[in-house]
Amino acid sequence: MRFPAHHLNEAAQKQDSTLLARARAGEAAAFEQLVRRHQASVFSIGYRMLNRRDAAEDLAQDVFLQLYRKLDDIESVEHLGYWLRRVAANLAIDWLRRTSYTRTAPLEDGVEVPVHEAEQDPLMDRELIRLLGELPPAARAVMVLRYQEDRDVAEIATALDMPVNTVKSHIKRSLTAMRGKMIGAQLVTAEELP
Amino acid sequence: MNEKFENQLRRALRPVDAPAGFAGRVMRALPERRASASVVPLSIVRKPAPLDAWRRLAAPAALAASLLVAVITGTHVAHRNAEREEQAGLAASRELMQALRVTSQKLDLAYEAVQRPAPEPAADEENRS
Repeated sequence: MRFPAHHLNEAAQKQDSTLLARARAGEAAAFEQLVRRHQASVFSIGYRMLNRRDAAEDLAQDVFLQLYRKLDDIESVEHLGYWLRRVAANLAIDWLRRTSYTRTAPLEDGVEVPVHEAEQDPLMDRELIRLLGELPPAARAVMVLRYQEDRDVAEIATALDMPVNTVKSHIKRSLTAMRGKMIGAQLVTAEELP
Repeated sequence: MNEKFENQLRRALRPVDAPAGFAGRVMRALPERRASASVVPLSIVRKPAPLDAWRRLAAPAALAASLLVAVITGTHVAHRNAEREEQAGLAASRELMQALRVTSQKLDLAYEAVQRPAPEPAADEENRS
């Protein structure tokens, strides 16, 4: 299988590749470096899916423990990134289906440290994240992989074991639903509707 | 319009850092040793020391010695059993020949007794009848 290119520059990819080889040879320090380099992505998937920092941390820890056991199966840096996103998203879907947090997850007031600073509208961000938390688990995973991880529909479809058209349908319906509620809350104007 | 909303969503969903000390907690939760490392680079394959080689050979050598002792002992016991059986067979044969000889002598005596003519009856006995 061909894995989508990672969002790292060439030097970072080379470094990840070296770390992966050393971790596979049993070097704990190299594995710890890999964890540090990918922890924000994995933790964020869990956090956006579950809306709870404690649950997100448990989930991320579970993902990295699974990675440790499966290191020999990881073929490349691209495969590593794909594997981490796929396992994190699917674990989060399973977690949501097992608990009562499927639709009405509370938004936590915990400290949130963005990895990359950007222009912010805290009220808008908060409302968008709240609306994301109202989506069903599979649709939520699609939206997180699309807009947080910036993955294309083909990769999302493979990662979540669903047809490409289903992924497109989830994106379209979720965007429409979220925009509709934002207009209702007067956070966006009707002109912003497609 | 659509793109603007999607960009708003991207900004809202920007990745957040994991809690402080997360990687350390993951490392502490790892099992002691990884189950397998299927491919070991040649550079880290260590040439065994002579003592290690002896230690590696000790078990197969002990096994081979045990097998040799077992084979020798088995052969010896089998040879002894065969000899014992041969001696017993010869003794039985001798006893049988002895028994046949005795039987033959007895038969000869019986034959001679049968072939011997009966004695003449006495004269007074003839007169009485």
